[in-house]
Amino acid sequence: MYAALLSNRYLTSRVIPLIAVGAVALCVALVIIVVSVMSGFLDMLKASGRTLIGDVIVSSGIGGIPHYDEWLSDLRALPEVEEATPVIDTLGLLRMPYPSGPSKEIAPVQVWAIEPASFARVTAYGEKIWWRPPADEAARETMLPDDPRLRMDGSILRDGLTLSQGATGKPGIVMGMHVSVGNARQSDGSYRPRFGWFMPGEDVTLTVVPVSESGTISEPRDATFPIVNEVFSGVYDVDKSRVFIPLAQAQQLLRLDAAPLYDTTAEPDAEGNLPLLGTTPARVTKVLIRAKPGVDALAARDAVEASWDAFVAKAARRSDRLGRPPERVSILTWEQQLRDLIGPVEKEREMMRILFSIIYIVCAGLILSIFWSIVIEKTRDIGILRSVGASRLGILWIFLRYGLAIGVVGSLAGVGIAWVVVDNINLIHEAIGRDAPRAAWITTCALSVLSVVMALRSLVWRGRLLPGLLWTIATVTLGIVTLALLGHRGTLIWDPSVYYFSRIPSQVDWFNAAITVGGGIVFSVIGAAIPAAKAADVDPVEALRYG
Amino acid sequence: MADAEQTPPDAGTDRSGRPPSASTEPPILAAHEVHRTYRFGQVEVPVLRGASIEIGRGEWVAILGQSGSGKSTLMHLLGGLDRPDAGRGTIEFEGRAVNLGAGRSLDRYRNRDVGFVFQFYHLLPELSVLENACLPGLVGGWFGHARAAAARRRAGELLEQAGLSHRLRHRPAELSGGERQRVAIARALVNGPRVLLADEPTGNLDATTGASILDLIAAQHAEGLTVAMVTHDASVAARAQRVVHLRDGQVVEG
Repeated sequence: MYAALLSNRYLTSRVIPLIAVGAVALCVALVIIVVSVMSGFLDMLKASGRTLIGDVIVSSGIGGIPHYDEWLSDLRALPEVEEATPVIDTLGLLRMPYPSGPSKEIAPVQVWAIEPASFARVTAYGEKIWWRPPADEAARETMLPDDPRLRMDGSILRDGLTLSQGATGKPGIVMGMHVSVGNARQSDGSYRPRFGWFMPGEDVTLTVVPVSESGTISEPRDATFPIVNEVFSGVYDVDKSRVFIPLAQAQQLLRLDAAPLYDTTAEPDAEGNLPLLGTTPARVTKVLIRAKPGVDALAARDAVEASWDAFVAKAARRSDRLGRPPERVSILTWEQQLRDLIGPVEKEREMMRILFSIIYIVCAGLILSIFWSIVIEKTRDIGILRSVGASRLGILWIFLRYGLAIGVVGSLAGVGIAWVVVDNINLIHEAIGRDAPRAAWITTCALSVLSVVMALRSLVWRGRLLPGLLWTIATVTLGIVTLALLGHRGTLIWDPSVYYFSRIPSQVDWFNAAITVGGGIVFSVIGAAIPAAKAADVDPVEALRYG
Repeated sequence: MADAEQTPPDAGTDRSGRPPSASTEPPILAAHEVHRTYRFGQVEVPVLRGASIEIGRGEWVAILGQSGSGKSTLMHLLGGLDRPDAGRGTIEFEGRAVNLGAGRSLDRYRNRDVGFVFQFYHLLPELSVLENACLPGLVGGWFGHARAAAARRRAGELLEQAGLSHRLRHRPAELSGGERQRVAIARALVNGPRVLLADEPTGNLDATTGASILDLIAAQHAEGLTVAMVTHDASVAARAQRVVHLRDGQVVEG
């Protein structure tokens, strides 16, 4: 009971424990802020990545998946599956419409040939099409006056959704937002055409290389597509390299469409035709699947795997040997598929957590040194307590409890600071991004002048060195802050062109916050334990005599 | 306590060096052939060299000696704050060797059986007068709310007797030296110890204030409290029933 009384009194009647509380609070707040932003960033990355691949991804080899329509019907009949869509995934070269003149820029791209209607049901393709008129008046009001979308009608969105140019009926191409260098991202996350290079309406030429089932490379083939729209997924790798074209055009270009197969080893007939062996079915290289609401991606994957096995078994029973699907395909959930993308960010978050957790050691060291000085200062008090019957464990507990109180108060204060900062991080960021308000630097300047007066009062009139020094430090600090505010012309820390999210994640990661609070408390107690043990070892006679 | 009489205690007390009740009952507190040597690096300084003393129940004994003669060391040994050199002497309280017990039993002995009053008061500056006075009552138990309440009541009574009821919420820094020593006495008595150990209780006070403190101790003694008081002032020692001298690390009667 006396331990509670004394540790509470030591905590509330002195300034130095407040420094320890402040140190713990800042350490905890720092870790929570960093980990929350990183976790939020990771969540946004995952959500954005998932939007363009669905829940389960089936990928085959070069030969592709024949009779995919049949399997898609099987898949759609599964209770776990909401929708499935075929995709051809290949690489290509895109001849861009810029610069002016005969020499054009060539961009390497990842080509996804899709059936836009079913693709939009599996993924968030429809929502990610960038160029579209504002959906309603509220959306219109959020846009800046020079945003090109304000002057668009619904046709550009329709073209993007159908992958065809409405005016000409030609099959079109939709490009990732950063395939073209013509899109300049603004601080509010919107885009403006750079150098007047507005892509929709321009033509690009896509070159792809057909590869046979056996891996033989054929002559490259190309086709020209009008750009009908652009898509912004929020994932740099996707937006930098992916283009979407209609599935049928891709199958023709890549020789994956249905075609008669002749026996090239036989003699031609009288009319010069080779014997017809049959018709090779059209193929795709990927199937994307969306799970029914409430169905876990792993459960959906298991169902898809079983369906594939049944599909392969059914194909094996056919007499037609031309359309045999491969026995093995890769079937992954969206999270497994994005492992290469998510993994490094997760590791980065862990690394940040570990690096920032080192601050705890600094915190524990600070508490140790503060408590050490308190124990030395309180040696006589320890002797008095021993004289009235306090045990060594009792003395130990006073200081451990003191450390515990500092850890709890500091950690909770840290959570409060972190919550305020994270919750308002975008406001803070926007404030940093603007010039400093005049009132801010006038206030700091006035406080700086006041500090000068106080410093002179302490040093000259009162002859006190310590307050004089503290006021001088305050003067210099406030002077530097004033100059910094005067020179501040807006700093964009979270550059959307780098992070590809226009808003900084502003949700506190409460699970990690709880772990961080636990860490703050544990390290505070560890920091207090060594001085506490020293206090317990104090010889009461020595303490009373010399303390 | 504040109104206690200022006359010396019974002048007919035995001053021969034996407790007045020695013939009828054993001493409440005794030191037998106690040695205590301090070590400062390689240097050993023997302070007590076989000191023995017996203090009878209800007796007031003054231990007189020069500065550095080992008075405080003997007091610390009697109060269980320190132990004699290993195997060289025992401290007995009611016939039980307290210095041979575990640290926990010594803690309990200091908390319940004896009360200390020091020359420099030794109050805790962060605590109020009342909190200082009831501190021993708060020590010695994890779930002692009832005990703490009782300690507060008892401390309040003792402080009232000491004339400090108007100072309960004050901090020690706001009190005079005499007031601080009264608080220290109240603290020493709050757990109802049977022996009061006073180490130069008036050593830091002027003569008038010192006399009032001795009156306070005398009043408690009159109520049956055993008092062992260390002093180097013969006039202060004269207030005791019996005076012993500490010379060359040994107790010399008379």
